[in-house]
Amino acid sequence: MKLGKYIKDRLYSVCIFVAMIIISVLMMAAFKVSVQLIIAEIFIMTICYIAVVLADYYRRKKFYDELETNLAALEEKYLITETLIRPAFYEGGIFYDTVSDIDRSMSENVKKYRLGMENFKEYVEMWIHEIKLPIASLTLILHNHMDKCDKEFADRMNTQIRRINNYIEQILYYVRSENAEKDYIINESKLSKIISAVALKNKDDLLENNITFEVSNADKIVLTDAKWMEFMLNQIVSNSIKYKDKTKAESYIKISAAEDKKCVVLEILDNGIGINASDLPRVFDKSFTGENGHEYSKATGMGLYIVKKLCDKLGSEVSIESVKGEYTRVKITFYKNDFYKEITDSNESGSM
Amino acid sequence: MNRILIVEDDKDISRELKELLENSGYEAEVLSCFKNACDSIIAAEPDLVLLDINIPYMNGEMLLQQLRSKSDVPVIMVTSRDSEADEVLSMSYGADDYITKPYNPTILLLRINAVFKRLGAKSDNTTTYRGMEILPHKGVIKYKDDEITLTKNEMTIFMYLLSHREHIVSRDELMTELWNNEEYLNDNALTVNISRLRGRFKDIGMEDVIETRKGQGYILV
Repeated sequence: MKLGKYIKDRLYSVCIFVAMIIISVLMMAAFKVSVQLIIAEIFIMTICYIAVVLADYYRRKKFYDELETNLAALEEKYLITETLIRPAFYEGGIFYDTVSDIDRSMSENVKKYRLGMENFKEYVEMWIHEIKLPIASLTLILHNHMDKCDKEFADRMNTQIRRINNYIEQILYYVRSENAEKDYIINESKLSKIISAVALKNKDDLLENNITFEVSNADKIVLTDAKWMEFMLNQIVSNSIKYKDKTKAESYIKISAAEDKKCVVLEILDNGIGINASDLPRVFDKSFTGENGHEYSKATGMGLYIVKKLCDKLGSEVSIESVKGEYTRVKITFYKNDFYKEITDSNESGSM
Repeated sequence: MNRILIVEDDKDISRELKELLENSGYEAEVLSCFKNACDSIIAAEPDLVLLDINIPYMNGEMLLQQLRSKSDVPVIMVTSRDSEADEVLSMSYGADDYITKPYNPTILLLRINAVFKRLGAKSDNTTTYRGMEILPHKGVIKYKDDEITLTKNEMTIFMYLLSHREHIVSRDELMTELWNNEEYLNDNALTVNISRLRGRFKDIGMEDVIETRKGQGYILV
Protein backbone atom coordinates (compact mmCIF):
# COMPACT_ATOMS: atom_id res chain seq x y z
CA MET A 1 0.00 0.00 0.00
CA LYS A 2 1.48 3.32 -1.13
CA LEU A 3 0.88 6.61 0.64
CA GLY A 4 0.74 8.64 -2.58
CA LYS A 5 -1.93 6.41 -4.06
CA TYR A 6 -3.83 6.41 -0.80
CA ILE A 7 -3.89 10.19 -0.66
CA LYS A 8 -4.88 10.37 -4.30
CA ASP A 9 -7.77 8.08 -3.47
CA ARG A 10 -8.71 10.48 -0.59
CA LEU A 11 -8.45 13.61 -2.75
CA TYR A 12 -12.06 14.54 -1.94
CA SER A 13 -11.22 14.72 1.75
CA VAL A 14 -8.16 16.90 1.06
CA CYS A 15 -10.35 19.20 -1.04
CA ILE A 16 -12.96 19.43 1.72
CA PHE A 17 -10.21 20.14 4.25
CA VAL A 18 -8.70 22.91 2.11
CA ALA A 19 -12.19 24.36 1.56
CA MET A 20 -12.79 24.28 5.31
CA ILE A 21 -9.52 26.12 5.96
CA ILE A 22 -10.38 28.78 3.39
CA ILE A 23 -13.90 29.24 4.81
CA SER A 24 -12.55 29.40 8.38
CA VAL A 25 -9.87 31.92 7.43
CA LEU A 26 -12.43 34.07 5.64
CA MET A 27 -14.83 33.80 8.59
CA MET A 28 -12.13 34.62 11.13
CA ALA A 29 -10.99 37.54 8.97
CA ALA A 30 -14.61 38.78 8.85
CA PHE A 31 -14.79 38.60 12.64
CA LYS A 32 -11.51 40.45 12.78
CA VAL A 33 -9.70 37.75 14.68
CA SER A 34 -6.00 38.44 15.13
CA VAL A 35 -3.63 37.10 12.44
CA GLN A 36 -1.62 35.09 15.00
CA LEU A 37 -4.72 33.21 16.06
CA ILE A 38 -5.60 32.47 12.44
CA ILE A 39 -2.13 31.08 11.77
CA ALA A 40 -2.21 29.03 14.97
CA GLU A 41 -5.67 27.72 14.05
CA ILE A 42 -4.56 26.71 10.54
CA PHE A 43 -1.52 25.04 12.00
CA ILE A 44 -3.46 23.02 14.58
CA MET A 45 -6.13 21.97 12.08
CA THR A 46 -3.53 20.86 9.51
CA ILE A 47 -1.59 18.85 12.08
CA CYS A 48 -4.79 17.18 13.25
CA TYR A 49 -5.87 16.42 9.71
CA ILE A 50 -2.51 14.86 8.80
CA ALA A 51 -2.61 12.84 11.99
CA VAL A 52 -6.06 11.48 11.12
CA VAL A 53 -5.03 10.61 7.58
CA LEU A 54 -1.81 8.91 8.68
CA ALA A 55 -3.47 6.93 11.45
CA ASP A 56 -6.10 5.73 9.05
CA TYR A 57 -3.47 4.92 6.44
CA TYR A 58 -1.31 2.82 8.76
CA ARG A 59 -4.24 0.87 10.10
CA ARG A 60 -5.08 -0.24 6.57
CA LYS A 61 -1.54 -0.57 5.38
CA LYS A 62 -0.76 -3.28 7.91
CA PHE A 63 -3.65 -5.45 6.70
CA TYR A 64 -3.38 -4.84 2.96
CA ASP A 65 0.40 -5.25 2.85
CA GLU A 66 0.10 -8.61 4.53
CA LEU A 67 -2.68 -9.56 2.12
CA GLU A 68 -0.58 -8.67 -0.90
CA THR A 69 2.62 -10.44 0.19
CA ASN A 70 0.75 -13.56 1.34
CA LEU A 71 -1.26 -13.72 -1.86
CA ALA A 72 1.85 -13.48 -3.98
CA ALA A 73 3.56 -16.22 -1.99
CA LEU A 74 0.58 -18.60 -1.91
CA GLU A 75 0.14 -21.21 -4.59
CA GLU A 76 -3.41 -22.07 -3.58
CA LYS A 77 -4.77 -18.51 -3.51
CA TYR A 78 -8.09 -19.60 -2.07
CA LEU A 79 -6.39 -20.28 1.25
CA ILE A 80 -5.62 -16.56 1.73
CA THR A 81 -8.08 -15.95 4.56
CA GLU A 82 -6.40 -18.68 6.58
CA THR A 83 -3.18 -16.67 6.60
CA LEU A 84 -4.68 -13.35 7.79
CA ILE A 85 -6.02 -12.02 11.08
CA ARG A 86 -9.40 -10.38 10.83
CA PRO A 87 -8.62 -6.63 10.68
CA ALA A 88 -9.96 -4.21 13.29
CA PHE A 89 -11.13 -1.47 10.92
CA TYR A 90 -14.67 -1.58 9.66
CA GLU A 91 -14.37 -2.12 5.88
CA GLY A 92 -11.50 -4.49 6.44
CA GLY A 93 -13.81 -6.58 8.56
CA ILE A 94 -16.49 -6.60 5.88
CA PHE A 95 -13.92 -7.51 3.24
CA TYR A 96 -12.46 -10.29 5.35
CA ASP A 97 -15.85 -11.78 6.21
CA THR A 98 -16.97 -11.64 2.60
CA VAL A 99 -13.89 -13.39 1.29
CA SER A 100 -14.18 -16.05 4.00
CA ASP A 101 -17.79 -16.66 3.06
CA ILE A 102 -17.01 -16.86 -0.63
CA ASP A 103 -14.19 -19.28 0.10
CA ARG A 104 -16.34 -21.50 2.22
CA SER A 105 -19.14 -21.65 -0.29
CA MET A 106 -16.65 -22.31 -3.09
CA SER A 107 -14.96 -25.17 -1.29
CA GLU A 108 -18.32 -26.68 -0.52
CA ASN A 109 -19.12 -26.45 -4.19
CA VAL A 110 -15.79 -27.99 -5.15
CA LYS A 111 -16.32 -30.73 -2.62
CA LYS A 112 -19.67 -31.51 -4.16
CA TYR A 113 -18.07 -31.91 -7.56
CA ARG A 114 -15.16 -33.91 -6.20
CA LEU A 115 -17.57 -36.28 -4.51
CA GLY A 116 -19.57 -36.54 -7.70
CA MET A 117 -16.39 -37.26 -9.63
CA GLU A 118 -15.30 -39.90 -7.14
CA ASN A 119 -18.69 -41.58 -7.29
CA PHE A 120 -18.48 -41.52 -11.04
CA LYS A 121 -15.00 -43.03 -11.03
CA GLU A 122 -16.10 -45.72 -8.63
CA TYR A 123 -19.03 -46.52 -10.85
CA VAL A 124 -16.83 -46.65 -13.95
CA GLU A 125 -14.41 -49.04 -12.22
CA MET A 126 -17.27 -51.24 -11.09
CA TRP A 127 -18.81 -51.11 -14.54
CA ILE A 128 -15.52 -52.16 -16.09
CA HIS A 129 -15.37 -55.21 -13.83
CA GLU A 130 -18.94 -56.05 -14.80
CA ILE A 131 -18.44 -55.65 -18.54
CA LYS A 132 -15.47 -58.00 -18.37
CA LEU A 133 -17.78 -60.86 -17.39
CA PRO A 134 -19.81 -61.00 -20.61
CA ILE A 135 -16.61 -60.51 -22.58
CA ALA A 136 -15.05 -63.45 -20.74
CA SER A 137 -18.17 -65.49 -21.49
CA LEU A 138 -18.05 -64.46 -25.12
CA THR A 139 -14.41 -65.50 -25.44
CA LEU A 140 -15.11 -68.85 -23.80
CA ILE A 141 -18.23 -69.51 -25.88
CA LEU A 142 -16.34 -68.77 -29.06
CA HIS A 143 -13.45 -70.98 -27.99
CA ASN A 144 -15.70 -73.86 -26.94
CA HIS A 145 -17.74 -73.81 -30.11
CA MET A 146 -14.93 -73.34 -32.57
CA ASP A 147 -16.01 -76.53 -34.34
CA LYS A 148 -19.37 -74.97 -35.23
CA CYS A 149 -17.88 -72.09 -37.19
CA ASP A 150 -15.05 -71.70 -39.63
CA LYS A 151 -11.67 -70.40 -38.54
CA GLU A 152 -11.88 -67.14 -40.40
CA PHE A 153 -15.13 -66.28 -38.66
CA ALA A 154 -13.67 -67.10 -35.25
CA ASP A 155 -10.54 -65.06 -35.99
CA ARG A 156 -12.60 -62.06 -36.98
CA MET A 157 -14.71 -62.34 -33.85
CA ASN A 158 -11.61 -62.64 -31.71
CA THR A 159 -10.08 -59.57 -33.32
CA GLN A 160 -13.15 -57.57 -32.40
CA ILE A 161 -13.16 -58.91 -28.84
CA ARG A 162 -9.54 -57.85 -28.53
CA ARG A 163 -10.48 -54.39 -29.73
CA ILE A 164 -13.20 -54.15 -27.11
CA ASN A 165 -10.73 -55.27 -24.46
CA ASN A 166 -8.22 -52.70 -25.54
CA TYR A 167 -10.71 -49.86 -25.26
CA ILE A 168 -11.89 -51.09 -21.88
CA GLU A 169 -8.34 -51.20 -20.57
CA GLN A 170 -7.83 -47.69 -21.84
CA ILE A 171 -10.72 -46.25 -19.89
CA LEU A 172 -9.79 -48.22 -16.78
CA TYR A 173 -6.28 -46.83 -16.78
CA TYR A 174 -7.52 -43.37 -17.71
CA VAL A 175 -9.65 -43.39 -14.58
CA ARG A 176 -6.70 -44.67 -12.58
CA SER A 177 -4.30 -42.11 -13.98
CA GLU A 178 -6.69 -39.26 -13.14
CA ASN A 179 -7.24 -40.55 -9.65
CA ALA A 180 -5.42 -38.68 -6.95
CA GLU A 181 -5.15 -41.77 -4.78
CA LYS A 182 -2.12 -43.94 -4.97
CA ASP A 183 -3.54 -47.21 -6.22
CA TYR A 184 -0.40 -48.80 -7.56
CA ILE A 185 2.28 -50.91 -5.96
CA ILE A 186 5.89 -50.52 -6.92
CA ASN A 187 7.61 -53.87 -6.90
CA GLU A 188 10.65 -55.46 -8.38
CA SER A 189 9.24 -56.78 -11.64
CA LYS A 190 10.86 -58.80 -14.34
CA LEU A 191 10.73 -57.00 -17.69
CA SER A 192 10.77 -60.23 -19.69
CA LYS A 193 7.65 -61.41 -17.86
CA ILE A 194 5.80 -58.19 -18.62
CA ILE A 195 6.89 -58.36 -22.25
CA SER A 196 5.77 -61.97 -22.51
CA ALA A 197 2.31 -61.09 -21.18
CA VAL A 198 1.99 -58.28 -23.72
CA ALA A 199 3.30 -60.52 -26.51
CA LEU A 200 0.69 -63.17 -25.71
CA LYS A 201 -2.03 -60.53 -25.68
CA ASN A 202 -1.03 -59.34 -29.13
CA LYS A 203 0.05 -62.69 -30.52
CA ASP A 204 -2.81 -63.10 -32.98
CA ASP A 205 -2.58 -59.55 -34.30
CA LEU A 206 1.18 -59.87 -34.71
CA LEU A 207 0.88 -63.18 -36.55
CA GLU A 208 -2.02 -62.03 -38.74
CA ASN A 209 -0.12 -58.91 -39.70
CA ASN A 210 3.09 -60.84 -40.26
CA ILE A 211 5.10 -58.73 -37.86
CA THR A 212 8.29 -60.19 -36.48
CA PHE A 213 8.45 -59.82 -32.72
CA GLU A 214 11.96 -59.80 -31.35
CA VAL A 215 13.03 -59.50 -27.75
CA SER A 216 16.60 -59.22 -26.54
CA ASN A 217 18.34 -58.53 -23.22
CA ALA A 218 15.03 -58.28 -21.44
CA ASP A 219 15.91 -60.30 -18.35
CA LYS A 220 16.18 -57.16 -16.24
CA ILE A 221 14.50 -56.32 -12.96
CA VAL A 222 12.84 -52.91 -12.75
CA LEU A 223 10.95 -51.03 -10.07
CA THR A 224 7.42 -50.55 -11.32
CA ASP A 225 3.82 -51.67 -10.97
CA ALA A 226 3.76 -54.73 -13.22
CA LYS A 227 0.10 -54.30 -14.18
CA TRP A 228 0.47 -50.64 -15.07
CA MET A 229 3.61 -51.38 -17.02
CA GLU A 230 1.86 -54.16 -18.89
CA PHE A 231 -0.86 -51.72 -19.91
CA MET A 232 1.69 -49.13 -21.04
CA LEU A 233 3.70 -51.60 -23.08
CA ASN A 234 0.51 -52.97 -24.56
CA GLN A 235 -0.50 -49.49 -25.74
CA ILE A 236 2.88 -48.97 -27.36
CA VAL A 237 2.92 -52.39 -29.03
CA SER A 238 -0.63 -52.04 -30.32
CA ASN A 239 0.31 -48.67 -31.78
CA SER A 240 3.21 -50.34 -33.55
CA ILE A 241 0.82 -52.93 -34.96
CA LYS A 242 -1.78 -50.34 -35.91
CA TYR A 243 0.72 -48.15 -37.72
CA LYS A 244 2.62 -50.87 -39.53
CA ASP A 245 4.08 -49.84 -42.88
CA LYS A 246 2.37 -52.06 -45.44
CA THR A 247 4.77 -51.00 -48.19
CA LYS A 248 7.73 -52.61 -46.43
CA ALA A 249 8.53 -56.23 -47.20
CA GLU A 250 9.29 -57.07 -43.60
CA SER A 251 7.74 -55.51 -40.53
CA TYR A 252 9.21 -55.87 -37.10
CA ILE A 253 8.88 -54.80 -33.49
CA LYS A 254 12.13 -55.07 -31.58
CA ILE A 255 12.12 -54.81 -27.82
CA SER A 256 15.34 -54.56 -25.88
CA ALA A 257 16.58 -53.25 -22.58
CA ALA A 258 19.81 -51.61 -21.49
CA GLU A 259 21.03 -51.09 -17.98
CA ASP A 260 23.47 -48.75 -16.32
CA LYS A 261 24.17 -47.69 -12.76
CA LYS A 262 21.27 -45.27 -12.55
CA CYS A 263 18.54 -46.81 -14.62
CA VAL A 264 17.12 -49.46 -16.95
CA VAL A 265 15.95 -48.26 -20.34
CA LEU A 266 13.38 -50.29 -22.23
CA GLU A 267 13.28 -49.63 -25.93
CA ILE A 268 10.49 -50.52 -28.35
CA LEU A 269 11.54 -50.05 -31.94
CA ASP A 270 9.35 -50.64 -34.98
CA ASN A 271 9.76 -49.99 -38.68
CA GLY A 272 6.23 -48.73 -39.11
CA ILE A 273 5.05 -45.59 -40.85
CA GLY A 274 6.68 -43.30 -38.28
CA ILE A 275 5.44 -39.96 -37.04
CA ASN A 276 5.59 -36.55 -38.69
CA ALA A 277 8.30 -34.34 -37.19
CA SER A 278 5.69 -31.64 -36.60
CA ASP A 279 3.42 -34.07 -34.74
CA LEU A 280 6.17 -35.55 -32.61
CA PRO A 281 6.24 -32.98 -29.79
CA ARG A 282 2.52 -33.36 -29.23
CA VAL A 283 2.01 -37.15 -29.24
CA PHE A 284 1.66 -37.25 -25.46
CA ASP A 285 -1.00 -34.51 -25.45
CA LYS A 286 -4.54 -35.41 -24.54
CA SER A 287 -6.77 -36.18 -27.52
CA PHE A 288 -3.99 -35.45 -29.96
CA THR A 289 -4.34 -37.65 -33.02
CA GLY A 290 -1.99 -36.09 -35.57
CA GLU A 291 -1.78 -37.04 -39.20
CA ASN A 292 -1.45 -40.79 -38.61
CA GLY A 293 -4.51 -40.83 -36.41
CA HIS A 294 -6.62 -39.25 -39.13
CA GLU A 295 -5.20 -41.06 -42.10
CA TYR A 296 -4.70 -44.64 -41.09
CA SER A 297 -7.25 -45.54 -38.53
CA LYS A 298 -9.49 -43.89 -36.07
CA ALA A 299 -7.47 -42.89 -33.05
CA THR A 300 -8.75 -41.62 -29.75
CA GLY A 301 -5.53 -39.81 -28.97
CA MET A 302 -5.73 -41.13 -25.43
CA GLY A 303 -3.31 -44.07 -25.46
CA LEU A 304 -0.01 -42.24 -25.25
CA TYR A 305 -1.49 -39.51 -23.05
CA ILE A 306 -2.42 -42.14 -20.46
CA VAL A 307 0.98 -43.82 -20.84
CA LYS A 308 2.71 -40.53 -20.09
CA LYS A 309 0.51 -39.85 -17.08
CA LEU A 310 1.08 -43.30 -15.61
CA CYS A 311 4.82 -42.97 -16.20
CA ASP A 312 4.83 -39.66 -14.33
CA LYS A 313 3.03 -41.25 -11.42
CA LEU A 314 5.41 -44.19 -11.27
CA GLY A 315 8.44 -41.92 -11.47
CA SER A 316 9.51 -43.34 -14.84
CA GLU A 317 10.11 -41.45 -18.03
CA VAL A 318 8.81 -42.05 -21.52
CA SER A 319 10.17 -40.53 -24.70
CA ILE A 320 9.55 -41.06 -28.37
CA GLU A 321 11.63 -40.47 -31.45
CA SER A 322 10.72 -41.18 -35.01
CA VAL A 323 11.56 -40.58 -38.63
CA LYS A 324 8.55 -40.52 -40.92
CA GLY A 325 8.48 -43.59 -43.12
CA GLU A 326 11.37 -45.24 -41.32
CA TYR A 327 10.95 -46.06 -37.67
CA THR A 328 9.44 -45.19 -34.32
CA ARG A 329 11.39 -45.72 -31.14
CA VAL A 330 9.77 -45.46 -27.73
CA LYS A 331 11.96 -45.48 -24.66
CA ILE A 332 10.86 -46.00 -21.08
CA THR A 333 13.37 -45.22 -18.36
CA PHE A 334 13.08 -46.93 -14.99
CA TYR A 335 15.21 -45.42 -12.27
CA LYS A 336 16.91 -47.62 -9.73
CA ASN A 337 16.32 -47.72 -6.05
CA ASP A 338 18.52 -44.88 -4.74
CA PHE A 339 17.63 -42.57 -7.53
CA TYR A 340 14.00 -43.49 -7.30
CA LYS A 341 13.99 -42.73 -3.60
CA GLU A 342 15.52 -39.35 -4.22
CA ILE A 343 12.83 -38.47 -6.73
CA THR A 344 9.94 -39.59 -4.57
CA ASP A 345 11.43 -37.86 -1.54
CA SER A 346 11.84 -34.58 -3.36
CA ASN A 347 8.34 -34.97 -4.77
CA GLU A 348 6.96 -35.46 -1.33
CA SER A 349 8.78 -32.52 0.20
CA GLY A 350 7.87 -30.45 -2.86
CA SER A 351 4.19 -31.08 -2.44
CA MET A 352 4.21 -30.25 1.23
CA MET B 1 -8.24 -87.51 -14.27
CA ASN B 2 -7.74 -84.25 -12.41
CA ARG B 3 -10.80 -82.72 -10.84
CA ILE B 4 -11.24 -78.96 -10.94
CA LEU B 5 -13.78 -77.07 -8.88
CA ILE B 6 -15.10 -73.81 -10.32
CA VAL B 7 -16.10 -71.20 -7.74
CA GLU B 8 -17.76 -68.54 -9.85
CA ASP B 9 -21.17 -66.92 -9.50
CA ASP B 10 -21.63 -65.87 -13.11
CA LYS B 11 -23.68 -68.73 -14.55
CA ASP B 12 -22.62 -68.22 -18.16
CA ILE B 13 -18.95 -68.14 -17.35
CA SER B 14 -19.06 -71.16 -15.08
CA ARG B 15 -20.99 -73.16 -17.67
CA GLU B 16 -18.54 -72.34 -20.44
CA LEU B 17 -15.58 -72.82 -18.14
CA LYS B 18 -16.85 -76.28 -17.25
CA GLU B 19 -17.18 -77.13 -20.92
CA LEU B 20 -13.71 -75.78 -21.68
CA LEU B 21 -12.13 -77.84 -18.91
CA GLU B 22 -14.03 -80.99 -19.87
CA ASN B 23 -13.01 -80.59 -23.50
CA SER B 24 -9.42 -80.41 -22.33
CA GLY B 25 -9.62 -83.67 -20.43
CA TYR B 26 -10.32 -82.47 -16.91
CA GLU B 27 -13.21 -83.37 -14.70
CA ALA B 28 -14.95 -80.11 -13.83
CA GLU B 29 -17.52 -79.26 -11.21
CA VAL B 30 -19.25 -75.97 -10.43
CA LEU B 31 -19.82 -74.94 -6.82
CA SER B 32 -23.57 -74.38 -6.59
CA CYS B 33 -23.98 -72.91 -3.13
CA PHE B 34 -21.77 -70.20 -1.78
CA LYS B 35 -23.12 -70.15 1.73
CA ASN B 36 -20.59 -72.42 3.38
CA ALA B 37 -18.19 -72.15 0.50
CA CYS B 38 -15.10 -73.16 2.43
CA ASP B 39 -16.59 -76.40 3.79
CA SER B 40 -18.20 -77.22 0.46
CA ILE B 41 -14.86 -76.83 -1.29
CA ILE B 42 -13.13 -79.12 1.17
CA ALA B 43 -15.99 -81.62 0.96
CA ALA B 44 -15.73 -81.71 -2.83
CA GLU B 45 -12.07 -82.77 -2.57
CA PRO B 46 -10.95 -81.18 -5.82
CA ASP B 47 -7.42 -81.34 -7.22
CA LEU B 48 -7.55 -77.65 -8.07
CA VAL B 49 -9.86 -74.72 -7.40
CA LEU B 50 -10.59 -71.86 -9.80
CA LEU B 51 -11.67 -69.08 -7.47
CA ASP B 52 -13.32 -65.78 -8.36
CA ILE B 53 -12.85 -62.80 -6.04
CA ASN B 54 -16.33 -61.32 -6.44
CA ILE B 55 -18.53 -64.07 -5.07
CA PRO B 56 -21.64 -63.87 -2.91
CA TYR B 57 -21.48 -63.86 0.92
CA MET B 58 -17.75 -63.67 1.15
CA ASN B 59 -14.92 -62.04 -0.67
CA GLY B 60 -12.81 -64.56 -2.58
CA GLU B 61 -9.64 -63.40 -0.91
CA MET B 62 -11.13 -64.06 2.52
CA LEU B 63 -12.40 -67.41 1.36
CA LEU B 64 -8.88 -68.22 0.17
CA GLN B 65 -7.47 -67.28 3.56
CA GLN B 66 -10.02 -69.48 5.30
CA LEU B 67 -9.40 -72.33 2.90
CA ARG B 68 -5.65 -72.10 3.39
CA SER B 69 -6.00 -72.58 7.14
CA LYS B 70 -7.58 -75.97 6.46
CA SER B 71 -6.29 -77.22 3.14
CA ASP B 72 -3.36 -77.10 0.72
CA VAL B 73 -5.45 -77.60 -2.40
CA PRO B 74 -3.99 -75.59 -5.30
CA VAL B 75 -5.97 -72.44 -6.02
CA ILE B 76 -5.90 -70.26 -9.11
CA MET B 77 -7.60 -66.91 -8.65
CA VAL B 78 -9.64 -66.00 -11.73
CA THR B 79 -11.04 -62.52 -11.48
CA SER B 80 -11.89 -59.31 -13.24
CA ARG B 81 -9.99 -57.35 -10.60
CA ASP B 82 -6.74 -56.61 -12.25
CA SER B 83 -4.72 -54.35 -9.99
CA GLU B 84 -1.29 -55.33 -8.77
CA ALA B 85 -2.55 -54.89 -5.20
CA ASP B 86 -5.23 -57.56 -5.66
CA GLU B 87 -2.70 -59.94 -7.14
CA VAL B 88 -0.09 -59.36 -4.45
CA LEU B 89 -2.73 -59.85 -1.76
CA SER B 90 -4.06 -63.07 -3.28
CA MET B 91 -0.59 -64.51 -3.77
CA SER B 92 0.32 -63.66 -0.19
CA TYR B 93 -2.79 -65.51 0.98
CA GLY B 94 -1.46 -68.57 -0.77
CA ALA B 95 -2.92 -68.57 -4.28
CA ASP B 96 -0.89 -70.61 -6.75
CA ASP B 97 -1.62 -68.33 -9.69
CA TYR B 98 -3.63 -65.27 -10.57
CA ILE B 99 -5.42 -64.76 -13.88
CA THR B 100 -7.51 -61.78 -14.87
CA LYS B 101 -10.71 -61.85 -16.86
CA PRO B 102 -11.23 -61.76 -19.73
CA TYR B 103 -8.54 -64.34 -20.30
CA ASN B 104 -7.46 -66.18 -23.36
CA PRO B 105 -8.83 -69.74 -22.83
CA THR B 106 -5.66 -71.33 -24.19
CA ILE B 107 -3.58 -69.39 -21.70
CA LEU B 108 -5.89 -70.35 -18.85
CA LEU B 109 -5.39 -74.02 -19.76
CA LEU B 110 -1.64 -73.50 -19.93
CA ARG B 111 -1.57 -72.01 -16.46
CA ILE B 112 -3.74 -74.81 -15.03
CA ASN B 113 -1.44 -77.30 -16.69
CA ALA B 114 1.58 -75.51 -15.22
CA VAL B 115 0.18 -75.74 -11.70
CA PHE B 116 -0.40 -79.48 -12.07
CA LYS B 117 3.04 -79.91 -13.57
CA ARG B 118 4.62 -78.10 -10.63
CA LEU B 119 2.75 -80.37 -8.24
CA GLY B 120 3.68 -83.57 -9.99
CA ALA B 121 7.25 -82.54 -10.78
CA LYS B 122 9.45 -85.56 -10.35
CA SER B 123 13.00 -85.22 -9.23
CA ASP B 124 14.52 -87.00 -12.21
CA ASN B 125 12.41 -85.12 -14.74
CA THR B 126 12.59 -87.87 -17.31
CA THR B 127 9.65 -89.23 -19.24
CA THR B 128 9.31 -92.06 -21.64
CA TYR B 129 7.41 -92.31 -24.88
CA ARG B 130 7.28 -95.43 -27.07
CA GLY B 131 10.48 -96.72 -25.59
CA MET B 132 12.27 -93.43 -25.93
CA GLU B 133 13.77 -91.78 -22.91
CA ILE B 134 13.22 -88.03 -22.85
CA LEU B 135 15.38 -85.60 -20.88
CA PRO B 136 13.62 -82.27 -21.39
CA HIS B 137 16.14 -80.14 -19.52
CA LYS B 138 19.06 -81.45 -21.51
CA GLY B 139 17.05 -81.35 -24.73
CA VAL B 140 17.99 -84.98 -25.37
CA ILE B 141 15.95 -88.00 -26.49
CA LYS B 142 17.51 -91.45 -26.19
CA TYR B 143 16.24 -94.41 -28.17
CA LYS B 144 18.04 -97.75 -28.07
CA ASP B 145 21.64 -96.79 -28.83
CA ASP B 146 20.76 -93.58 -30.64
CA GLU B 147 20.57 -90.15 -29.14
CA ILE B 148 19.09 -87.02 -30.68
CA THR B 149 19.41 -83.45 -29.50
CA LEU B 150 16.49 -81.07 -29.86
CA THR B 151 16.55 -77.28 -29.80
CA LYS B 152 14.61 -75.52 -27.07
CA ASN B 153 11.72 -74.77 -29.43
CA GLU B 154 11.56 -78.33 -30.74
CA MET B 155 11.56 -79.68 -27.19
CA THR B 156 8.81 -77.25 -26.16
CA ILE B 157 6.66 -78.39 -29.08
CA PHE B 158 7.34 -82.05 -28.44
CA MET B 159 6.65 -81.82 -24.70
CA TYR B 160 3.39 -80.04 -25.37
CA LEU B 161 2.29 -82.68 -27.87
CA LEU B 162 3.38 -85.37 -25.43
CA SER B 163 1.36 -83.96 -22.55
CA HIS B 164 -1.67 -83.86 -24.86
CA ARG B 165 -1.30 -87.33 -26.33
CA GLU B 166 -4.42 -88.63 -28.02
CA HIS B 167 -5.72 -85.07 -28.30
CA ILE B 168 -5.46 -82.94 -31.39
CA VAL B 169 -3.29 -79.93 -30.69
CA SER B 170 -4.01 -76.86 -32.78
CA ARG B 171 -1.27 -74.66 -34.22
CA ASP B 172 -2.65 -71.86 -32.10
CA GLU B 173 -2.11 -73.90 -28.94
CA LEU B 174 1.47 -74.70 -29.92
CA MET B 175 2.06 -71.08 -30.77
CA THR B 176 0.63 -69.93 -27.43
CA GLU B 177 2.83 -72.43 -25.58
CA LEU B 178 5.93 -71.20 -27.42
CA TRP B 179 5.11 -67.52 -26.88
CA ASN B 180 4.39 -68.28 -23.26
CA ASN B 181 7.97 -69.58 -23.08
CA GLU B 182 9.20 -66.28 -24.52
CA GLU B 183 9.88 -67.75 -27.95
CA TYR B 184 8.15 -65.41 -30.34
CA LEU B 185 7.97 -67.55 -33.48
CA ASN B 186 5.98 -66.73 -36.58
CA ASP B 187 3.88 -69.14 -38.63
CA ASN B 188 6.67 -70.15 -40.99
CA ALA B 189 9.08 -70.79 -38.16
CA LEU B 190 6.55 -73.07 -36.47
CA THR B 191 6.15 -75.09 -39.67
CA VAL B 192 9.93 -75.31 -40.03
CA ASN B 193 10.31 -76.43 -36.41
CA ILE B 194 7.71 -79.16 -36.78
CA SER B 195 9.21 -80.52 -39.96
CA ARG B 196 12.68 -80.46 -38.36
CA LEU B 197 11.25 -82.30 -35.37
CA ARG B 198 9.82 -84.93 -37.70
CA GLY B 199 13.20 -85.17 -39.38
CA ARG B 200 14.94 -85.88 -36.08
CA PHE B 201 12.55 -88.71 -35.28
CA LYS B 202 13.04 -90.07 -38.76
CA ASP B 203 16.78 -90.18 -38.05
CA ILE B 204 16.21 -92.70 -35.28
CA GLY B 205 13.71 -94.64 -37.27
CA MET B 206 10.55 -93.27 -35.71
CA GLU B 207 8.56 -92.06 -38.69
CA ASP B 208 5.06 -90.63 -38.47
CA VAL B 209 5.28 -89.82 -34.81
CA ILE B 210 3.53 -86.52 -35.39
CA GLU B 211 0.48 -86.71 -37.61
CA THR B 212 -1.10 -83.72 -39.26
CA ARG B 213 -4.86 -83.42 -39.00
CA LYS B 214 -5.82 -81.16 -41.83
CA GLY B 215 -7.43 -77.93 -40.69
CA GLN B 216 -7.21 -78.93 -37.04
CA GLY B 217 -3.63 -79.33 -35.97
CA TYR B 218 -1.28 -82.09 -34.94
CA ILE B 219 -1.52 -85.25 -32.92
CA LEU B 220 1.14 -87.39 -31.33
CA VAL B 221 0.54 -91.09 -31.96
